[in-house]
Amino acid sequence: MTTDNLAARTKQSNKELLTWTSSWLVSLAIVAFAPKFVWDFSPVYTLMALILNLFFGYKMIIANKRALDRMDELQRRIHFNAMAVSLGISMVFGAAYGLMEGVKLIDFEPNPSGILFVMGISYLISVFVGLRKYA
Amino acid sequence: MKNRLKVLRAERDWTQADLANALDVTRQTVNAIETGKFDPSLPLAFKAAKLFKMPIEEIFDGSDC
Repeated sequence: MTTDNLAARTKQSNKELLTWTSSWLVSLAIVAFAPKFVWDFSPVYTLMALILNLFFGYKMIIANKRALDRMDELQRRIHFNAMAVSLGISMVFGAAYGLMEGVKLIDFEPNPSGILFVMGISYLISVFVGLRKYA
Repeated sequence: MKNRLKVLRAERDWTQADLANALDVTRQTVNAIETGKFDPSLPLAFKAAKLFKMPIEEIFDGSDC
């Protein structure tokens, strides 16, 4: 694969990210819902769906890494900063959230998907702040 | 780090987009370097020096680093 300039590289990255992220999301939905609603918890199908989900997840990670490699140095800095902020916030939030049920601040079991939500939102906000900072 | 990118660009009647294209970076990156918000890497500084056919120290002033 040869990509000439930044615009072409960005286009290529967006295409790959769209393909693999949407594939991963669809496969995740299949793993979550298909065993109950489609194949009545057949372990063979569930395992196949899980393997497919992990494969798409791997491709999505590689697509993200390639997208970072194809960025220019300022874009890369903005995204690295956002990753650092997102990781830190998720760690702090995750630790506190995990303790909340034990110390009777909440009466439901903490859901790990809440941390994914915080991670995604904090990443998006950090990228936006970075873009504003260097605008 | 101070630099003369804006002056050199203006002398050639280039837009930020023209310079960004020549350096293979975004226009935002050119703007951030020109305004001193972002210091370029050594490879990018060399690329600019090559583009303007000037020694790197005539474009970038590293005295305050």
